[in-house]
Amino acid sequence: MLTVLLVLPILGVLFLGILPKTISSNRLRQISLVISIASFAWTMYLFSQFDLNVGGFQFNDFFPWLEPIGLNYHLSVDGISLPLVALNSFLSAIAIYSTSLKIERPRLYYILILLVNFGVAGALMAQNLLFFFLFYEVELIPFYLLINIWGGEKRGYAATKFILYTAVSGLLILIGFLGLAFLNGSGNFEYEAITTAGLSLQTQLILLTILLVGFAMKTPLVPLHTWQPDAYVEASPPVAILLGGILAKLGTYGIIRFCLQLFPETWNLTAPGLAIIGVVSVVYGALSAIAQLDIKRMVAYSSIGHMGYILVAAAAANSLSVLGAVAQMISHGLILALLFQLIGTVEAKVGTRDRDILSGLMNPIRGLPLTSGLLIAAGMASAGIPGLVGFIAEYIVFQGSFSRFPLATILCIIASGLTAVYFVILLNRTCFGKLDNSLAYYPKVLWSERLPALILTLIIFAFGIQPNWLVNWIEPTTNQVVSVTSYQISNNYENAN
Amino acid sequence: MDFASNFSDQLNVGLILPEGIIIATLLIVLIADLIVGRNRSRGLPYIAIGGLLLSVVALYFQWNPENPIALLGSFSGDDLSIVFRSIIALSTAVTILMSIRYVEQSGSALSEFIAIMLTATVGAMFLSGANELVMIFLSLETLSISSYLMTGYTKRDSRSNEAALKYLLIGAASSAIFLYGSSLLYGLSGGETRLPEIASGIAQIEGGELASAIALVFMIAGIAFKISAVPFHQWTPDVYEGSPTPVVAFLSVGSKAAGFALAIRLLVVTFPFEEPQWRLIFTALAILSMILGNAVALAQTSMKRLLAYSSIGQAGFVMIGMVAATEAGYASMIFYLLVYLFMNLGAFTGLILFSLRTGTDQITEYAGLYQKDPLLTLGLSICLLSLGGIPPLAGFFGKIYLFWAGWQAGLSGLVIIGLIASVISIYYYIRVVKMMVVKEPHEMSDTVRNYPAVNWKLPGMRPLQVGLVLSLVVTSLAGILSNPLFTIANSSIANTPVLQKASLIEEEVQDKQVSLAEPKTPAIVD
Repeated sequence: MLTVLLVLPILGVLFLGILPKTISSNRLRQISLVISIASFAWTMYLFSQFDLNVGGFQFNDFFPWLEPIGLNYHLSVDGISLPLVALNSFLSAIAIYSTSLKIERPRLYYILILLVNFGVAGALMAQNLLFFFLFYEVELIPFYLLINIWGGEKRGYAATKFILYTAVSGLLILIGFLGLAFLNGSGNFEYEAITTAGLSLQTQLILLTILLVGFAMKTPLVPLHTWQPDAYVEASPPVAILLGGILAKLGTYGIIRFCLQLFPETWNLTAPGLAIIGVVSVVYGALSAIAQLDIKRMVAYSSIGHMGYILVAAAAANSLSVLGAVAQMISHGLILALLFQLIGTVEAKVGTRDRDILSGLMNPIRGLPLTSGLLIAAGMASAGIPGLVGFIAEYIVFQGSFSRFPLATILCIIASGLTAVYFVILLNRTCFGKLDNSLAYYPKVLWSERLPALILTLIIFAFGIQPNWLVNWIEPTTNQVVSVTSYQISNNYENAN
Repeated sequence: MDFASNFSDQLNVGLILPEGIIIATLLIVLIADLIVGRNRSRGLPYIAIGGLLLSVVALYFQWNPENPIALLGSFSGDDLSIVFRSIIALSTAVTILMSIRYVEQSGSALSEFIAIMLTATVGAMFLSGANELVMIFLSLETLSISSYLMTGYTKRDSRSNEAALKYLLIGAASSAIFLYGSSLLYGLSGGETRLPEIASGIAQIEGGELASAIALVFMIAGIAFKISAVPFHQWTPDVYEGSPTPVVAFLSVGSKAAGFALAIRLLVVTFPFEEPQWRLIFTALAILSMILGNAVALAQTSMKRLLAYSSIGQAGFVMIGMVAATEAGYASMIFYLLVYLFMNLGAFTGLILFSLRTGTDQITEYAGLYQKDPLLTLGLSICLLSLGGIPPLAGFFGKIYLFWAGWQAGLSGLVIIGLIASVISIYYYIRVVKMMVVKEPHEMSDTVRNYPAVNWKLPGMRPLQVGLVLSLVVTSLAGILSNPLFTIANSSIANTPVLQKASLIEEEVQDKQVSLAEPKTPAIVD
């Protein structure tokens, strides 16, 4: 069943590849949109088949592939990965829809977007470490080209930085995986078969550190984040949506799946350190965002901060906080997509992203009133205002992590106040104030251009008011994850005594 | 006791049928060219390719022979040699596809070129199965002398002349060193020339450790020259830059495969008691090759030199399997050479196509190629990315297997260096892809601006197109569908009796592992 999600984009790639040269940009966009919507519809069908009473993996697809090295085609989803898979196909559809028709070399562009969709879906569903690594590396070239061909002025620099960071991240992850599989003597790369229980504490710490650094580069967390502002800012808006909305989630997903779940004992030892790194990311992201003049860069730094919450929550490792971490991944994906979408619209219509030049966009006649209205909603959602999905996720995170790390949590709450500060600065400079009368002749925003932002806003509100629609899917799994890991720990303590 | 039948058993000439076919092809090509003349010899390259493919078919039917020893013990037709001989024959077949247009455009005769190429192939194939010192030296020199001749084949080009002279000087010196090592072995073993007998002969002699260590080092120097391992690599960049590109393609695949075949057989069979030593030497060679090959490739401006340094780095990756010295290690070497065959020959085919149409091989001149020649851009990009180890292409699986085998043998440090080197390699491979794909129309180089219309109908172009498409398809699919290749690589090692010792070690390792961890699945029994 899950194979469909991999076959659809690949079929799309092949189909787009063999279409005749005369095909119009619009038709290419329609075809890839149909494919991404079809895979989104398929994930919705999966949700309807998903058994909420089972915390573990569901929908197994297994074929032995390369048995000599233990690489198997093994797909499966649980409550952590399925919502992210849905987010992946949803954001792909949004990114494809919001791509301008005047784009150069559309065929290559849509092929690469579908490849990204394919790779992320595969990585989220893979249950074999080498298989996961394969998909993790598949992202490399498509994103490199997406940034480098269709990006902004400094795109070459940003793309090179991105690919080097990501390649190093892949390297560390492969080292970690090889170590995981061979050090306990099994040589088995199946996720279920991996256990770190037999390893000495020192080995576990080394492996955990290698994996954490690898995933933290992708997420990214301070101090391994320096590729991120460049890549987000130089990428075109649809690519930035995919980069921030989905690719970053592979990092946090990896942290929960391969670090928290595989190293239950060591995780608890390292948790205080991780919480500190998380808090530093949160505070650093917020303070850096305040200092930015470019509003896209502001959002990029805000994203570093929001990733920090996930690390703090994962470090706390209780059922509530892990639930919050997953919810925060989804909510951040949606909010970041909305923000980049709106900033893309503002940049396309006004022609600048400088917060010192932008002004008075709320003006109902000559400004961009609906866009700025939505921007206000998005800023509020990002800053954690109740009634929007950001609040729900952050609240669960804080609630969960407070019992374990009270000080860190309080610092996070303060930083989320800082989030409000820079969003107020952003909104104040761009939406309010007066329009410059000599320059303000902006093109009209068409309804078709507003559609993705409207849909995203609607979902953000819906999840904010009715969080159960989001949390229900995640909760059984995160409960099980936490109970299994704590069970293992207590078991090991008993054995030790 | 029937002496005659026993003698023919020992001679076992049937095993060298594949080489016989190629020699016959060689003679046909030469004589036919003499008879019909240069202007009517269009069909000769295809005869040569047909002969090479026929010899691969003959090799296929010899798979897992009952009696692998031929020619009175001087040749071994076991599965190890069959795999390497097939790699060499295939690489020559693809190289001939590439060289038709290239050699004709340079104004030289094609049939002599093909004859020398086939001679080199026969030498390399005999080297893969050579089991005796004189045989090894003869086939090594057959390969080397033909290589020198091919290197200097475009004799009006001064760079080609210089490359040939350099190659000859370094090659002759390393042959002499190798020969000195062989003579030491002959003396040490009390007059044995066959590899298995040498091993037992040396084992009986007391106090020969120093001499046998010297012999080992001298022979490794000769081998390392063939596989261009650092520090025996200096000829590679100059020779690759100066000689005709199809020759370089053969040197980087066929000649290297022969070198690795020789390394495996010689070291495993003759020096089992020196295993820690030669593993140490190869560790050093592998580390140096991976680091230097990949780091220096970063700074190259010419495609041919870039591929030269990249091939040094790739040899370093392959040596990980050699250092592992387990069954999986050797199998991963074979697997990597199999996929390397297609991705490297694909890259060289792209290179030849570009330089045939534009006359240059500077990397900056590739800027904006996607607009003028999409097929070439696609083929070259896929092959280069595969060399860089990007999934889901063939090179990714090859590297994964090498690193897997290395880690399994406990070489985590070497594997980590390999991984770092392959991250570095991604940077320079993608630089070329960036030139071709990313550059905007207004950033196009002058060469690409004046790019001739793509015309596959010119004589000799169709084979190039076939070669490019073939390697493109194989490189993109051989990774995903690599189970048959895995089976070939693994069973060729498992079926080769001389590597038995290696398999014994592996069983010990597995036994240890099983006792450590709970047995999850029943052990796989062949």
